[in-house]
Amino acid sequence: MATSYGGYMGKVADINLTTGAICEYPWSDEECRLFLGGKTMAAKIIGDHLAEIRGPLDETNLLVISTGPFTGTGAPSSSRFNVSSISPLTGILTSSNCGGNFGYYLKKAGYDSLVIHGRSEKPIWLEIHNDRFTFHDGHSLWGMKTGLTQEALDEALAEQSGGKRRKNGKIVIGPAGENLVKYASIVSNERLAGRGGVGAVMGSKNLKAVTVSGNHTVPVHDKERMDRLNRSWFKYLRSHPLTGDQLPRLGTAGLVSSMQMKGQLSTKNYTYGQFDRFEKVNGETLAEEHNIVNKGCLTCPIKCARTVQVDGKAVKGPELETLGLLGGGILNDSMELILRWNYELDELGMDTITAANTLAWAMEANEKGLWDNGLVFGDTADISQVWEDTAYRRGIGDELAEGSRALSEKYGGKEFAIHSKGMELAAYEPRRAVGLGLGYAISNRGGCHLNGGYLVILEGLGLNVNQQTPHGKPDVTIIFQDLMEGTSSCGQCVFTTYAFFPPPLIHHPHAWYTKVFNAIVPVAGPVLRLLTMFPQVVCFHLPVIFNQSKALKYATGMKVTFGSFLKAGKRGYTLERLINTRLGISRKDDSLPKRFTDVPQIEGDETTKVPLEQMKDVYYRGRGWDKDGIPTEKTLKKLNLDHLAVSQMPAGSCRQEVEQHG
Amino acid sequence: MSYQITESCIGCTLCAKNCPTGAISGQLKARHAVDAGLCVDCGVCGKICPKGAVLDAQGKTAVKVPKDQWKKPVIDPVLCAGCSVCVENCPKDCLEIEGPKFHGDIHTVARFAEGREKDCIGCGICGDVCPIEAIHF
Repeated sequence: MATSYGGYMGKVADINLTTGAICEYPWSDEECRLFLGGKTMAAKIIGDHLAEIRGPLDETNLLVISTGPFTGTGAPSSSRFNVSSISPLTGILTSSNCGGNFGYYLKKAGYDSLVIHGRSEKPIWLEIHNDRFTFHDGHSLWGMKTGLTQEALDEALAEQSGGKRRKNGKIVIGPAGENLVKYASIVSNERLAGRGGVGAVMGSKNLKAVTVSGNHTVPVHDKERMDRLNRSWFKYLRSHPLTGDQLPRLGTAGLVSSMQMKGQLSTKNYTYGQFDRFEKVNGETLAEEHNIVNKGCLTCPIKCARTVQVDGKAVKGPELETLGLLGGGILNDSMELILRWNYELDELGMDTITAANTLAWAMEANEKGLWDNGLVFGDTADISQVWEDTAYRRGIGDELAEGSRALSEKYGGKEFAIHSKGMELAAYEPRRAVGLGLGYAISNRGGCHLNGGYLVILEGLGLNVNQQTPHGKPDVTIIFQDLMEGTSSCGQCVFTTYAFFPPPLIHHPHAWYTKVFNAIVPVAGPVLRLLTMFPQVVCFHLPVIFNQSKALKYATGMKVTFGSFLKAGKRGYTLERLINTRLGISRKDDSLPKRFTDVPQIEGDETTKVPLEQMKDVYYRGRGWDKDGIPTEKTLKKLNLDHLAVSQMPAGSCRQEVEQHG
Repeated sequence: MSYQITESCIGCTLCAKNCPTGAISGQLKARHAVDAGLCVDCGVCGKICPKGAVLDAQGKTAVKVPKDQWKKPVIDPVLCAGCSVCVENCPKDCLEIEGPKFHGDIHTVARFAEGREKDCIGCGICGDVCPIEAIHF
C-alpha cells in the first residue's frame, strides 16, 4: 500500500514462517490516522486476528514489530520499535518497547512494520534487505547467547557484501527464548524488548534473529518546519533538569536514592520500602565508581544508558528496576554482582524485572517453608547459576522460568507474588505511591510502571504531590497514560514526556509555585476529568513542553492538535483494554498482591497501603468503562473503535490459557 | 533513484574499489554497474571517475573532483547532541562519539575517529541526516 502521509514508508510486511510466504499486509491511510503506529498499530493488527490465535506459543500467535511515524524523521529519541504479541507470561496482549537502531533500519529497508506468524520447521534467521527477504538456516546460531549471535550475524552479512560491513539493525533471542522461558526477551544491540515474554514467542516460531537493512529515506511532509522544530526540541530536552541533567548524569538509576527517601524502594520482596544499605547500590555509586560513559539510543539526546565493565569488557549497565530488585529486593548490597547479573541476563535474553521478582518470591517462599529450593535472601553465591538454570530450564530453574504467578499458584504464597495480571512489578513500592499502585493494577500489559501512567514521578521522584492520597490520581493517571501511549505509538521514547513538567517546578521544589502545583493535583480531578472526556476542546498545540502533536502534524501532514493527539493515545489504550477484555480481563484482574492492599507498609498507619478499589471506580468512570472495567459501547463509538471486529466479540470469548511447561 | 554508470565506462575499477558499500561491480575493462539496493548516494564514484561515466541520483553527469578539494564536515561541538545519527549513517565509518573528557562528562559529541579523517569522502550524508544542523561543510 502506498500512503499519502509523510513519516510512513507505506508498507507492512506479512511474513508466514510456516510457508515462507511474504506479502504486503493491508494498512490504509485511515488506519495510520487512527492508530498512528507502534503499540497501537500492533494492537489493531492483533485485534483483527484475535479469534484465530489459539495460544501464546501456538503458531497462530502473531509477533508484530512496528515503528512509528517519528522514526527516521529526525525527531529526538525516535529510533524505537515496539514488539507486541499475546504474552506467554500473562496470556493477554503484551507490548514491549525497545531502543537501539532496529526501528531506524526497518524504515531504511522500506517497511513500517513486520507481522510475523506461523512456525518454521527448523531454526532459521531472516534477512531483510529492502524488498529482499531471505530465510537462512539458523542451526549454527541456535544455542548462542545474544552477544555472540549478533556478532555472527554481522559477519554473515559482511560476507554477502564482499567483506564490507553492511550497516543493519537486528533482533535476536538467546537461550531463554529458545527454551521458551516465559519472560524471555528480544535483544537488539544492547537494548531489550524485555517484558512479557516476546522472546519466547519468537523462540516458539524457531526464529532466532531478524536483520534489516536498506537505503530508503523516510519522507517528511513539511521538512522545513520539522527540522526547525527538531532543533528547538533537542535544545529544550538538553536544557531540562530531568532529560538534560538527571537522566544523562545518573541514568534511571538516579532515582534509587529518591525512592529510598520516600519509602518507595522495594526491599526484601517489597516487605519494606527502604533498604539500609541502599548507598552501595544507588545511581550515585554506579555513576561515580562504575560508569565509563553515558550512552544513548540512536537519535537520542538524553543518553540515559550506562556503560560499565564486567570481566574487563565494556557492557550495558543496569537500569533502576534491576538495581532496586537485585539490590534491596533480595537484600544484596554488591553493585559488582548486579552489574554481572544484568549482563548475564541480557546475554541469556531474559527480562531482569520478572527474573528478579521471581527470585525474590522464591526466596520468601523458601523462608516461609512453602517451597524448599535453597534460595535465601542475602545469599548471593549461586545466583549466576540460577540464571543459567532458568534459561536452560534445569532443576529449579525450570520452575522459575514460569514466573511468580505460576509458582504461587502451585506452592501458595499468592499474597507476596508481586505481579499484576501475571506480570511482575518494577521496583517502585506502591504503598508509598498509591497513584502508581493504581497504575500497576490497571496497566494493560500487567504490572508495568510506564504503561500504568508512571504517577510516581509526581509522587516523590520529580514533584512532591501527596504520596498517600488517592484523590485526583485516577484522572492524572488517564492523562499520563494517554500522552505516553500516543508518544510511544509515534515511535518515540516516553522519557521525552518528562519534559512536560516546566523546568522551574523541578529546579525549585520548595518554591511557592511548586508547592501550589503539588497541592492542586489532588483536587484537580474534576477539571482533569473534563479534559479526559473532551480532549478535542484543546484545539491547539501546547508550547515548548509538549512538541509531539506539532511534530506529528509536520511529519505526516495529518490534522493534529494537542487534543486530538491525546485522543489518539486514549484510542490506543482503550483498544488494548478492549482486546484484553476479550481475553478474559475484567475488574477482578486489575489487582495487586494483598501485601499492598491489606498490609500497611508502616505498622499502624493505614494510609500506607493502596486504596485500590476506591481509585478503580473513579478511573473506570474517567475512562468510560463500566463498573466491571469493560469499555462501553458509547466509549468505543466516541473513539472510532466500534466498527472493529474485536468490538463485536463477547467479553472473555478469546481467553487464552497460559500453558505450563512440561 | 541511485547513481548509475553509463556506456562511457572503461572498466578501470576505480569506482568499485572506492565504493564504501560494495554497490558497484564489474570486470576490468568492462562497463560497471551500480546495485541500486546497496547504493547510498554518497557520490564518491562520480567524484573519482576519470571518464565522466557516472550519473547522479537526479540523472545528471557527475563531475570529477580532485581529492584535495573534497569538502570535510565540521561539527559544532556546542550544538551537537551526540545522538549518533551521523555516526550510524557515515558510509566510511569515519565518525564516532567521543569518550568523556573527564569522569562524569555527559556532553560527549560526534567527531572524526582517530586516523579516519583521511578516509572521509566528503559525501555530505552526515550533514544531511543531522537533525539539528550541527554539521557544516
